[in-house]
Amino acid sequence: MEQTTTEQTVEEQKNYTLGFHGTGSELFGIIIVNWLLTVITLGFYYPWAKAKQLSYMFGATSLNNDRFAFHGTGKEMFKGFIKALIIFVVLYGILIVSVVFHMEILGFAIFYIGFLGLIPLAIHGTYKYRMSRTSWRGIRFGYRGERGQLFGVFIKGILLSILTIGIYGSWFAMNLRNYIFSNIKFGNIEFKSNARGSSYFVLVLKGYFLSFITLGIYSFWWMSEIFAFYVNNISMHKDDKEIRLKSTATGVGFLGLILGNLLIIVLTLGLGFAWTQVRTMNFIANNIELEGNIDLDTISQTEDEFTDATGEDVSDFLDLDITL
Amino acid sequence: MQDIKAIYFDGNSSIAQSIDFVLDEKNAIFIFGSPQLGNAKHSILDAKISNHSGLLIIEFGTSPIQTIKIDDAEYIKYLKNYLSTNGIQTWYQKLINLGVKVHILIALSILGLIAVSYFFVLPFVAEQAVVLVPKSYDDKMGGEFYQHFVEYNEIDSAKTKQLEAFAQKLQFNSSQKLHFTVVKSDIVNAFALPDGHIIVFTGLLDLMQNYEELVALLGHEATHVNERHSVKMLCRNISGYLLISAILSDANGVIATIADNANGIYSLTFSRGFEREADLKGFEIMKVNKVNPNGMSNLFLRLKEGNKIDIEIPEFLSSHPVTDARIEYVNETIKNDFYKYQTNLELKKIFEAIKNDAPPK
Repeated sequence: MEQTTTEQTVEEQKNYTLGFHGTGSELFGIIIVNWLLTVITLGFYYPWAKAKQLSYMFGATSLNNDRFAFHGTGKEMFKGFIKALIIFVVLYGILIVSVVFHMEILGFAIFYIGFLGLIPLAIHGTYKYRMSRTSWRGIRFGYRGERGQLFGVFIKGILLSILTIGIYGSWFAMNLRNYIFSNIKFGNIEFKSNARGSSYFVLVLKGYFLSFITLGIYSFWWMSEIFAFYVNNISMHKDDKEIRLKSTATGVGFLGLILGNLLIIVLTLGLGFAWTQVRTMNFIANNIELEGNIDLDTISQTEDEFTDATGEDVSDFLDLDITL
Repeated sequence: MQDIKAIYFDGNSSIAQSIDFVLDEKNAIFIFGSPQLGNAKHSILDAKISNHSGLLIIEFGTSPIQTIKIDDAEYIKYLKNYLSTNGIQTWYQKLINLGVKVHILIALSILGLIAVSYFFVLPFVAEQAVVLVPKSYDDKMGGEFYQHFVEYNEIDSAKTKQLEAFAQKLQFNSSQKLHFTVVKSDIVNAFALPDGHIIVFTGLLDLMQNYEELVALLGHEATHVNERHSVKMLCRNISGYLLISAILSDANGVIATIADNANGIYSLTFSRGFEREADLKGFEIMKVNKVNPNGMSNLFLRLKEGNKIDIEIPEFLSSHPVTDARIEYVNETIKNDFYKYQTNLELKKIFEAIKNDAPPK
């Protein structure tokens, strides 16, 4: 009798549904109003614009019919923007001073090493800020990675990639990904990513080769494989329960998504950008399935608030495209 | 309006709690509660209200942030109406509420504004800005390029000397000293550097048949130096690039790429404007030196001859006006601005020496 109850709790599968409810015209309105305000304010509105857009995108995404929320504000991101600006002014300052004093080699060395060093710091800062400012049912996400450790993963990855003329790049990318995802918390739920560099390497090699001999046609199937690889390796854990992610995306699906988006962009001379984003988000939400037995009513608030957006803004400067 | 059922998240756990929600219109507060929770109230003025299709979400409080979710369509309508009639709605929301048609109009207006400032305001400002660039910059830029160039190219020193002698006999209306260099190469071309170095390839010299053509060429190149075309070009390219990246930093990659290429194509048109100016002011130089202006149209014929192998590039993609067009407007100028010219025996002699590869006697 007792055994059956335990079995029942462990085996009991819950239902989870991801959804995206945004529309092209709503997003278009936000993008255009933001654009207008950014132009009028000579760019100073940008942090607020970004906050509005992220807030819309998160708010339009749902899990079991409850929306995600982004609480980041323009003010936070503006402060971060100023700090990021100072960092870059200092870096460029060093470069200029070194040229004036004819110590170009030293100057360039500091400049490039500084730039390279900024990348892991920016990734760290971005995740810490974004996760902390994201919530679902009022429960915050969080990123608990250590700056020093991420830096270590990064430096090791770069050095080995150089030594192996890029071959190690696949392992590097997956180590970075695993480190970041395995440090994401959602209240008292822990994320985990277990993507293996060797599998990724084979995937990349195979995709590259097949895309080449099929004159690019295979690339859509390649994308769906990489998407599945990323998604299927993510899981969430709480006590002895878990949720596993599963991709249902197909090559044909990617083909339709990308050709459709391309067509929209070309025919509208770029103004249809909002609609392509909505299509993409719909595609992602519809192609990730969640399976498991964590009761979503039992999540509790565990993560601290973190409101320093410097990393987020440095990422913007570096043009790092950081997605969740 | 009566109270309704809504969902409340307390910010501590993920449990959805059913509550009764009511708005106190007069005091601009909302009151919510349930038998388990008791009653609580909060100002609607400092709550963040977001509206998603068929869903109104009210977030309030700081640590923890609490959330109320309302999905009653009638009540949402009522709340939205209350917010807008009482001026609680933010100006941002008002802009959003303008609707997709107005938004498209705004987008097109911004694009129009950008186009106007890009094609009319920017070139003007950029040319004015050139005054701010010190002349020493031209010298430095040109000097550095020249050093590199002569390192990788073979100078014909005998012809260089003769070309210098040839140029000595001419007036260039130039405020700065010009230096002339002949480089051994099959390339049928010549170019000017901002510091006053003018480089002519033997490929072009070999095709020339008359000293008047050489005068036309030097006049053209000297104008590039006199008018500081290189720095003007640089100013315009940089400001164009800055404008584009400033405006499109927020836009997506595709528009940015299109605009970037547009910048490239437009700067070609711009440089074509410079070439035309160099042709016309070069013509003036021929006039001052009383040299037969037909040398200029002949020069263009040589260029055309020399570049025959090339496919004719459509005009809008080419940095120089297409040769036929140049010949046409130069002939026009010659017709309209007729002047007396005479044969300059000294120039003729030096030119022949250059052609014959022997020092002038």
